Amino acid sequence: MNINVIEADGGVTHVVLDGRFDIAGAQGADPRFSALAQSSSSVVVDLAKVSFIASLGVRTLMVSAKTLIRRGADMAVCGANENVEKVLRSTGFDEIVPLYPDFASAAAWLTSRQAEFASKKP
Amino acid sequence: MSAPEQQACSRDFAGTIEAAADAEAWLMSQSGALGLPEDTEFALNLCLEELFINAVQHGRANRATISIWAEADGVRLEFVDDGGPFDPGEAPAKRISGPTDDFEIGGFGAGLVQKFSRRLSYRRSDGYNRLLLEFGAARDTNAGSEAPHTT
Repeated sequence: MNINVIEADGGVTHVVLDGRFDIAGAQGADPRFSALAQSSSSVVVDLAKVSFIASLGVRTLMVSAKTLIRRGADMAVCGANENVEKVLRSTGFDEIVPLYPDFASAAAWLTSRQAEFASKKP
Repeated sequence: MSAPEQQACSRDFAGTIEAAADAEAWLMSQSGALGLPEDTEFALNLCLEELFINAVQHGRANRATISIWAEADGVRLEFVDDGGPFDPGEAPAKRISGPTDDFEIGGFGAGLVQKFSRRLSYRRSDGYNRLLLEFGAARDTNAGSEAPHTT
């Protein structure tokens, strides 16, 4: 699975995945996601080109989301096809990370979250 | 168990994570030969990965035998392993209930197998877990009709 990280406008990190998020895909993605979770403030994981995911792939996303949330950062997911979305919803992943149809709507949500967070800072 | 409509394709795999990837590739080649719809291929692949990982990581299986065949009402996947007794049909379907930053990660495999298969039957015999999964997709009539071969 290919991983392309793009620093988009508004401080949003756009992580574009391409391929199968299977055992090999999850093993390859783990170090990249671990680094992103420690350094980024707003992450959109783009699954539009991901044809397959199973629990190991969901685990990679969850571990990363947990680290981000605990740092006061955010993650959103976009573009999941019907089967990938069914897997994410079956595990409850959507309870902690919102799912959006496309990058623009996911980035807009993250930008509004950042603005909300900034306004609450003393 | 009813007699297969087509000859079952079976293959043995070592109980390792590396072999799980080989098993997925083999299963996809078999499902391609059966001309299965995309949704069924996804479900087969998902269930196989979950069962294989569970058998190796938790059941400490040394071997797994996978069989696939078509029947009139869909496709069957049989997964046999020599690991510790485990019935994924009876295991709780774990799911995060949030929002929270204190969620437990893991244990989702059994719930996914339950969700993505139409029917699941389990028996333990002679030291083996024998799991039969049913998937309800008819064959894609636009795909090739050549029957797969036993490997």
